[in-house]
Amino acid sequence: MIKGDKFDSFFKITEKVYYGFIDLFEDKNPLHVNDFFAQSKGYKSVVMHGNILGGFLSYFIGECLPQKNIIIHSQQIKYHNPVYLNQQIILKAEIVDVFESVNVIELKFNFEDEHSNTLAKGKIQIGIIL
Amino acid sequence: MKNNEELNYVIKKVNAIFNDVLENDDIKINYETTVKDIDEWDSLSHIALVVSIEKSFQIRFTAKEIQDFKNVGEMCEGILLKLGNKK
Repeated sequence: MIKGDKFDSFFKITEKVYYGFIDLFEDKNPLHVNDFFAQSKGYKSVVMHGNILGGFLSYFIGECLPQKNIIIHSQQIKYHNPVYLNQQIILKAEIVDVFESVNVIELKFNFEDEHSNTLAKGKIQIGIIL
Repeated sequence: MKNNEELNYVIKKVNAIFNDVLENDDIKINYETTVKDIDEWDSLSHIALVVSIEKSFQIRFTAKEIQDFKNVGEMCEGILLKLGNKK
């Protein structure tokens, strides 16, 4: 993996993912589970939990990169637009820096909807386990 | 040893990086400081320190260079050497 390498991954927040997240972590804030509440706050319907995107990010790092001997050191994510149930999401990532002295790679990533609107973006630092 | 003024400047800048990365403004480093002197300096924070130093000074070390530094002072001299080579 070298600086400039780019990766795309496609995701969808299915009912399995949504209800699985609620079942595991029990975040039942009305914004996430009550359509009437979400709509009263200006959203189309219930808003998906931001950390579901964190789960997709984990999958991307763990399963989609060409190397498997990696570990996440740190990550930052900023949310820009709400994500809804059954929405198609594209994760675009690029290696922006490589630190060979300590076997570290930094990627920037962007979650986008089908119209290329940014849903969330951030940076993630991973270590190569030798 | 390099010019003391330059070295002191680098140590001061590296000190600020230690304060930031290790989230402890009380840390004061000097030429002789090693990993044994700073509680927060563990294996993961070591990586974060090196990354932050390389970014801040816009230099790159090799793994061997990092391993060979015996203390903070030697690393700061290494930084000066890299900066000198870039001119």
